[in-house]
Amino acid sequence: MSEYIIEMNHITKEFPGIIANDDITLQLKKGEIHALLGENGAGKSTLMSVLFGLYQPEKGVIKKNGEEVKIKDPNDANALGIGMVHQHFKLVHNFTVLQNIILGVETTRGGFLKMDDARRKVMELSQQYGLRVDPDALIENITVGMQQRVEILKMLYRNNEILIFDEPTAVLTPQEIDELIKIMKGLAAEGKSILFITHKLNEIKEAADRVTVLRKGKYIGTVDVAGVTKEQMSEMMVGRKVELNVEKGPASPGDVVLETQGLTVINKDHGKKVVNGVSLQVRKGEIVCVAGIDGNGQSELVQAITGLIKADAGTIRLQGEDVSHTSIRHRNTHGMGHIPEDRHKHGLVLDYPLAYNLVLQSYFEPAFCRGGFLQYNSIYQYAEKLIGQYDIRSGQGAKTAARSMSGGNQQKAIVAREIDRNPELLIAVQPTRGLDVGAIEYIHRQIVAERDRGKGILLVSLELDEVMNLSDRILVIYEGELVADLNPNETTVQELGLYMAGSKRKEAV
Amino acid sequence: MSGLQLLYFLVQQMMYFSIPLLVVALGGLFCERSGIVNVALEGIMIIGAFSGVMFLHHTQDSLSGQLALLIALVIAALAGMVISLVHAYASINMKADQVISGTAINIFAPAFAIFVARMINGVQQIPFQNTFFITKVPLLGDLPFLGPLLFQNTYLTTYLGIALLILSTVVLYKTRFGLRLRACGEHPQAADSVGVNVYKMRYAGTVISGALGGIGGLIFVIPTSTNFNGTVSGYGFLALAVLIFGQWKPGRIFFAALFFGFMKTVTATYSVIPTLKDMGIPSDIYKMIPYIATLIVLAFTSKSSAAPRAEGIPYDKGQR
Amino acid sequence: MKNNSLLARDGVQKALASVIAIFIGMLVGFAILLISNPARAVEGFIEIVIGGVSSRKNIGQVLFYATPLIMTGLSVGFAKKTGLFNIGAPGQYMVGAFAAVLVGVKCTFLPPILHCLVALIAAGLAGAVWGVVPGALKACFGINEVISCIMMNYIGASTSNLLIRRMIFDKARNQSLRPADSAVLPKLGFDKLFVDGATPSSANAGILVAVLLGVLTWVLLEKTQFGFELKACGFNRDAAKYAGISEKRSIVLAMVIAGALAGIGGGLMLLAGAGTGIAITDTPAAEGFNGIPVALLGMSNPIAIIFTGIFMAYLTVGGLSMQSVGFVPQIIDIISAVIIYFAAFVLFFSQLMSKLAKHKETSGAKTEKGGDGQ
Repeated sequence: MSEYIIEMNHITKEFPGIIANDDITLQLKKGEIHALLGENGAGKSTLMSVLFGLYQPEKGVIKKNGEEVKIKDPNDANALGIGMVHQHFKLVHNFTVLQNIILGVETTRGGFLKMDDARRKVMELSQQYGLRVDPDALIENITVGMQQRVEILKMLYRNNEILIFDEPTAVLTPQEIDELIKIMKGLAAEGKSILFITHKLNEIKEAADRVTVLRKGKYIGTVDVAGVTKEQMSEMMVGRKVELNVEKGPASPGDVVLETQGLTVINKDHGKKVVNGVSLQVRKGEIVCVAGIDGNGQSELVQAITGLIKADAGTIRLQGEDVSHTSIRHRNTHGMGHIPEDRHKHGLVLDYPLAYNLVLQSYFEPAFCRGGFLQYNSIYQYAEKLIGQYDIRSGQGAKTAARSMSGGNQQKAIVAREIDRNPELLIAVQPTRGLDVGAIEYIHRQIVAERDRGKGILLVSLELDEVMNLSDRILVIYEGELVADLNPNETTVQELGLYMAGSKRKEAV
Repeated sequence: MSGLQLLYFLVQQMMYFSIPLLVVALGGLFCERSGIVNVALEGIMIIGAFSGVMFLHHTQDSLSGQLALLIALVIAALAGMVISLVHAYASINMKADQVISGTAINIFAPAFAIFVARMINGVQQIPFQNTFFITKVPLLGDLPFLGPLLFQNTYLTTYLGIALLILSTVVLYKTRFGLRLRACGEHPQAADSVGVNVYKMRYAGTVISGALGGIGGLIFVIPTSTNFNGTVSGYGFLALAVLIFGQWKPGRIFFAALFFGFMKTVTATYSVIPTLKDMGIPSDIYKMIPYIATLIVLAFTSKSSAAPRAEGIPYDKGQR
Repeated sequence: MKNNSLLARDGVQKALASVIAIFIGMLVGFAILLISNPARAVEGFIEIVIGGVSSRKNIGQVLFYATPLIMTGLSVGFAKKTGLFNIGAPGQYMVGAFAAVLVGVKCTFLPPILHCLVALIAAGLAGAVWGVVPGALKACFGINEVISCIMMNYIGASTSNLLIRRMIFDKARNQSLRPADSAVLPKLGFDKLFVDGATPSSANAGILVAVLLGVLTWVLLEKTQFGFELKACGFNRDAAKYAGISEKRSIVLAMVIAGALAGIGGGLMLLAGAGTGIAITDTPAAEGFNGIPVALLGMSNPIAIIFTGIFMAYLTVGGLSMQSVGFVPQIIDIISAVIIYFAAFVLFFSQLMSKLAKHKETSGAKTEKGGDGQ
């Protein structure tokens, strides 16, 4: 019998143009809690999807108890005893806890559901592992923590022995996290083997026996958690080398252009404060970067500032004016520019030609619209100007449908549009996501140039390189709160990693 | 007419209208609970009514009474199932817009019914002999109060409708099939992740709606007419309203069907009811009340809509 | 770059898709003719194909039938451009028809042309009122417009019946009174142009109004600030919101305009001087539902809808001539049902095609770095 219950040996999974997993090996011992650590885009989810049968790897083999197995779909995974708690729970909202647990493996008598046996088994499991649930409560009426326990019971009810937890703590309160870790330890003690995907170092320290670290699709190493410090893990996760370099001189900050006070956003689904009392300032001529691991509230923070969602508390002042309750258009026309996180969802109307997209917030201005009629000549002239100035490449120039442009040029178009509107405050959220090196450098240069022209820049980035290179000030966001206000010249990537992973904290000024 | 007699009369009449609405709305319930929007109920009813009546018309010399009715009901159900497969194919396999596919069936059905009737019979009306009327159910019909209320001047289909209601409730809430069907309408990804075949369940839901829609079409025509003229007078759409008014739950659908049926009864009979006649409210008002009531219910329940969450969204296995 | 050909292909693809749907519809129609009377099937099919152009009168009839179809097609298509499915065109059409006849009957103090215009405006207003209800319900409560539109169809039918009985009832014929001659659309000499022996066609100025409104709708959508906002909402609601466009306002206004277009369609039909009033019926107007295939085939483009409206009318007239060979006219309805059904597939097909094409393209472009989230 093999030492390992599951082995994923030399897994390589490619997507067009990108190697998501490059020769990754992961070996899971029976009865251990094994953490899988990595930044956004490190390849953790891809690897787990391979294990769960959602993707087929190009290279590599999966073994269970030393024997090679093929996992073609989730049903194969289930049959091998592999269960997964997905980040987004797969629970039917208006079913009871019990119904959700038995769905797919119901026992029946004469065609009718036989719930008594199922109930007994669920209650036994619940007792055994300390998974408190109310079997008759509807999913929509119970807490996220209990929903997660239902997901765990689903796996146990199916006698799964390999349990994958995909970022299980993202939606939990600190108390719930403590409880989850206790539960996981209990499961491991009973002989279940656990894979725990996370990027929170404290949790790894607390829960895991071993940790495998991935970075940018590559395997970095597997170590015993007891033998490493958080600092060492952080270093493995983020690496040492800073690859890109941006030329920029020192900042000369001026007046405050954006100020938020106690900004709070409550998620309607789980009632958690995803943005929690954020107070920050951006001054003219500086780049303030909000750093953090994805899902810590940065998206909601920006959406509240730009007006895409309503803040539940707090104020937003734009160049001294309280804009907390004004429309998006008001903010757009009063000095706010916004390079959105998702260029396909918010940034572009993909079925519109490039020219229209370049005037998406200004089509109604006298330059482009007279008496309600759009002035196509001026719109196209303006578009041609931007295309030339910002080197936006497309098949048919201004007439090209945005949909048929490459990602880099789509992003360039958005950057061009937002910068050319000449806003006093430019908010850029992951402006270089998914772009090639050339486009990244280009966009970085543009952002620095804007700063040097005396604009205030609020940059949200998940890329530590970008954060370190571009910013004049770093605000670290963790679980919706600002936990640090750092000077990039006086900090290291490792230190930043500790703040982002929630294991270090100093109150922001 | 005494007050009691009036009550008997109204309830008896109401059943003629309510039961088909109930049965068709139950059909819609299975379909929508599996995640497929079914605006084709009107067309399915027409096809069912047409097939059943056609059968009755051609066999009425040799076959009559409740047996003929039962066979006709089976034929109506089968015809409804066939046409619903057309909807299922577009909605499930082709991931087409379910409203467009349903609209196509609604345009197709009356044209098809009239076309075939004229091809076979020469005229578009298909007459049938109503040999199914039950003046009094033996024994039960003699009960005091309940007898005349529920067991006189009635049709077998009334009891069939009630039986279908009970059966539907049991199937939906007490069986494995029902549990899986409902999961597919709410969260198909969840159902898929535990090994439930979403496509198969959605086919099942749609085909059941075809069977019940077909049956509903026939039992609408039989008590209210002596021939079939290629229409069910918007009852399919009314049944859709019943389904929504009933918030996609069998029990509430039953009461919604009674309410809507009652409004229809009032429309049809208010001229013989002295009180209503004196009030002088035009029948058109009674006709629109169910629809207006549905809109109001929709507006009030929009925050906590009971509509299946995945309704109308084609399921793509690739996008888990 | 290959984007050129791709885009072109996309447009061609969609048009081609409509043609395929029509082709399948005709094929099914022919099959039905064959089944019902093999001996005369070819003859009947030829009648369908050439009936619409076989005489000057028939050409006129095509234009006459096309008028309401273009209007309801524009209504459905306009709403579609804003991302809404206006299945409420039948109800809007009916209340529009009622309003037009009401003005036509009652406001006889108006001079001829003005009378007609006022009647049409009334029709548009009535239709707009019927459109605003589902629009507002969608904007304020998020209620699916399909459901509320279906309810509004029946409420529209009953309201129209009620008001006809109250205000403009012709008991003997069980229909509404006819609009006064001064409210009838002028013939503009069409009765002389599209004539067959002594019987003129029913063609009238209505078709010109419909074409004009089609062009205006196109201008509104393609040339104005308002159209820019509506289409942005239809294509991508999130991006429209990001750009500061009020989504709710757009939804309500789109339904108002869609309702008005269908309402005017009802007005144009009843003011055509065909010598009838509005029949009392509980069934929502077929012209409204038939706007759906017209809009679908026309890919919601107002100019294309003018032509697909004429095409569907041409099928209708063909169907009428086919009757002379002994076939029932319902075959035409079956054909249009089949066309709608396959038009629904076609959406899927062209989406699939563009997805595939795009996939190829981005995978080519991904040599940059990829991970582009599409």
